[in-house]
Amino acid sequence: MSIQIRYFAAAAEAAGRDEEHLEIAAGATLSTLKAVLIERYGTLMQRVVESGSFLIDGVVRRDPAHAVGARVDVLPPFAGG
Amino acid sequence: MTLPAQSDRQPLVGPGAPLSSERLIRYSRQLANPDFGEIAQRRLAHARVLVVGAGGLGSATIPALAAMGVGTIGAIDTDAVELSNLHRQLAHGVADIGRSKLESMADTVAQIDPEISLIRHDVWLDSSNALELFAGYDLVLDGSDNFATRYLVNDAAVLTGIPVVWGAILRYGGQAGISWSGQGPTYRDLFPVPPAPGTVPSCAEGGVLPTVCAIVGGIMCSETVKLLTGIGEPLLGRVTTYDALSGRFRELEYAVSDEVDAVTELIDYDLFCGLTPAAVGSSGAGDTSKTGGSAEFGETSGSDAAGGVSDEIDSRELAALLSTEAAPQLVDIREPFEFAIAAIETAELIPLGGLEGRLADIRTDIPVVVYCHHGIRSERALRLLQSAGFTNIRHLVGGIDDYSQVIDPALARY
Repeated sequence: MSIQIRYFAAAAEAAGRDEEHLEIAAGATLSTLKAVLIERYGTLMQRVVESGSFLIDGVVRRDPAHAVGARVDVLPPFAGG
Repeated sequence: MTLPAQSDRQPLVGPGAPLSSERLIRYSRQLANPDFGEIAQRRLAHARVLVVGAGGLGSATIPALAAMGVGTIGAIDTDAVELSNLHRQLAHGVADIGRSKLESMADTVAQIDPEISLIRHDVWLDSSNALELFAGYDLVLDGSDNFATRYLVNDAAVLTGIPVVWGAILRYGGQAGISWSGQGPTYRDLFPVPPAPGTVPSCAEGGVLPTVCAIVGGIMCSETVKLLTGIGEPLLGRVTTYDALSGRFRELEYAVSDEVDAVTELIDYDLFCGLTPAAVGSSGAGDTSKTGGSAEFGETSGSDAAGGVSDEIDSRELAALLSTEAAPQLVDIREPFEFAIAAIETAELIPLGGLEGRLADIRTDIPVVVYCHHGIRSERALRLLQSAGFTNIRHLVGGIDDYSQVIDPALARY
């Protein structure tokens, strides 16, 4: 299936783009998606995957077995003030 | 009359006493805004808001809130003004260096409007005082500089039922939103758990473009005024992100997540953020290590209570070692501009970014010590060298900043 994935801040830097469409196997889980992103974009993305939030269809998901939806947002946190 | 921008949301604060003509003149340009008017202005005058942090975002919000007529503003900070603050913390000036930021801020506010009450909370916000402090305010602005404080602010606001207008900045980017339990999602619905220590740099480590403070601080003030007066559509359930390099704002919508733990009480936020008590204690001596936002993360990473100790060295031990015949190779992995500010004698400069290409310069016949500003990048350098096969490497805990405080005050701090 095709998913729309949006990258923010350090995630966009790691991916070299703000968003893209990815073809991913039907029934793919969050952990599959994370592995795909790391394979695709390397160590910078690995850091993002470790600390960043993954929102699936607008809801943050932590369960690695959660199914990937049509829209995924990758948002790294930062705390500077 | 209701404009499309008008929400059904109730104003957070009731209107205070009618305004004097002098006040009406002062606020005439904002009173002229559609749907604003004198009642909205009286709500602002009657409002009590608390600002966590008088640094970059505090400087961008507190004077603006005061100027707009928010009657009572509390500010929490324990830092003193430093030279390296002045490029972005426009509430402070050269004459304020060394003064407490709260004192300096009080002067700035008094110059804008002496009738605004700035309440100085010269305390380190923690689980023991947060609920009591928050109970005295209608709304909190979070411009703090570390994750432990951000989760504390969120949770204390959840428990007291008040909204948080939060902003965060790093390098060329900013984020802002509203966290309000019961009315919408909270900060935890966006970031359920903090990142591992050392994985996200602070502004001291990663840098920050000053104008990002102004932009994010401006958004925070707008959201504050909107909530207090009930105008517009609050940034609730949405986070807006700003990238100065592209000049682009992007928005992300989010809802309450069922995978987020409910907040029932305040916890130990240092522990929650992976900061061990020992490391917090050892790095908490100076103000920089607390609200400078640099030492909270990374100081502890790789050194869980039992293991990892052997690849760390502290300032005293390094000083002793450097004075012996068997001095180690000392490698400064900071950037050249930092090396030019101050460097420990005998150190060689090999910036972290180029370290992988200069492995041949790392000695294997004698011990090697790597250091940086606060001990965060050097920990990364240590891991890099270890994974490249080097075994006799240690990194300086607390970096040159700690070394300056403990051993050699002649080394300029920044």
